Amino acid sequence: MHNRVGIGWRPELAAGILSNLDRIDVLEVIAEDFFDRSARLRALKTLAAQVPIVIHGVSLGLASTAPADRKRLEKMARLVERVQPESWSEHLAFVRAGDIDIGHLAAPPRTSGTVDSAAANLAAAEAVVGSLPLMENIATLVNPPASDRDEPRWLCETLAASNVGLLLDLHNLYANSVNFGLDPKDFLALLPSERIHAVHISGGKWIHNGDLSQQRILDDHLHDPPDPVYDLLTDLAARCPNPLTVVLERDGAYPSIDHLLAQLDRARQALEFGRATQPDMSAPLRPLPLMETPGVGSPSRMRGVT
Amino acid sequence: MNPTALEQFLAKIYVDSMARKRFLAAPQAEAARAGLSKEQCEALEAIDRVGLEMAAHSFARKRTRKQSAAASSSSHWWRVCGSLIPLRVLVAFARNRRSAKDTL
Repeated sequence: MHNRVGIGWRPELAAGILSNLDRIDVLEVIAEDFFDRSARLRALKTLAAQVPIVIHGVSLGLASTAPADRKRLEKMARLVERVQPESWSEHLAFVRAGDIDIGHLAAPPRTSGTVDSAAANLAAAEAVVGSLPLMENIATLVNPPASDRDEPRWLCETLAASNVGLLLDLHNLYANSVNFGLDPKDFLALLPSERIHAVHISGGKWIHNGDLSQQRILDDHLHDPPDPVYDLLTDLAARCPNPLTVVLERDGAYPSIDHLLAQLDRARQALEFGRATQPDMSAPLRPLPLMETPGVGSPSRMRGVT
Repeated sequence: MNPTALEQFLAKIYVDSMARKRFLAAPQAEAARAGLSKEQCEALEAIDRVGLEMAAHSFARKRTRKQSAAASSSSHWWRVCGSLIPLRVLVAFARNRRSAKDTL
């Protein structure tokens, strides 16, 4: 099983990345950095000839109850068509409403209504771009009001209704779990591992409003991934049947490239450790007893265990 | 129940500190004033207040960072332009000298 580990492309890291491409399997670029920028796009195409590229969008707001913006989808479609990335991804979030631009990713209320509207927006995205994105779970500091289900259930329902794969951000999962009283490992165990194809790892910090009993983790991408994120990566590798592409996200307070490469190595080790504990995925399937009718594609059947 | 109106209301209290202050002083009344349903108003009454303030500050920081990144990108452009200005001045100076010599 071929897992890969890479890093998010940032101009500040360019020199370090380009001089260490032998230690970086894949680069993730932010789509909006290349919208309507022909010179940058030419540079990106040159880069894509040297290393596998995946594209990550941050502005489409595909989990909004409002229809996805056609012009933004068309920009994404042009970028995907020109760069021919291995995949593209977006977030299960809304980023604007009416004429208000929130400026970042906001968690929608977790209801059947937002499951349906995300599915409709993703169908529109597929129609315009030509392929479905992988969808990422977001970090949130506020439990979205008017929700009638928890995050794991909402994620499972949204992925199923939209038939999309999950880009699992393990720090977002960890931060939301800690902030809202879930066990991160239980959260991970509830997700459909067969839909997980890509992973983000990053770090954050504790914040509070003056009351230390009300601390929360802010996913700021300015710190190293904490130990529990690597533990979750090992757990994921142990149960996910797909090859995984892991990307380290860093958006500032940049350490040396050697420091970042060491984090990529640690992610590789976490993956290998998890894979080593996984049952043999290549084992032939044994016939099932006649009366047994497991769900299609259930992990037990895929792994040849009856 | 209008989910789009709820999303707009949330966006408003996430980005507008005065609207947030009015909302936190009278959640149900402000939500009702925005045309939200009874169920939505009740849900907003029970909002996670600590999280709301933290999220609002985080969103504000992100918007500021975006603006300064855009300004820095544009200042980079002006630096590029700025480096061309001395060249243009030199060319203009040389032309002026040539035309002055021609006149003499």
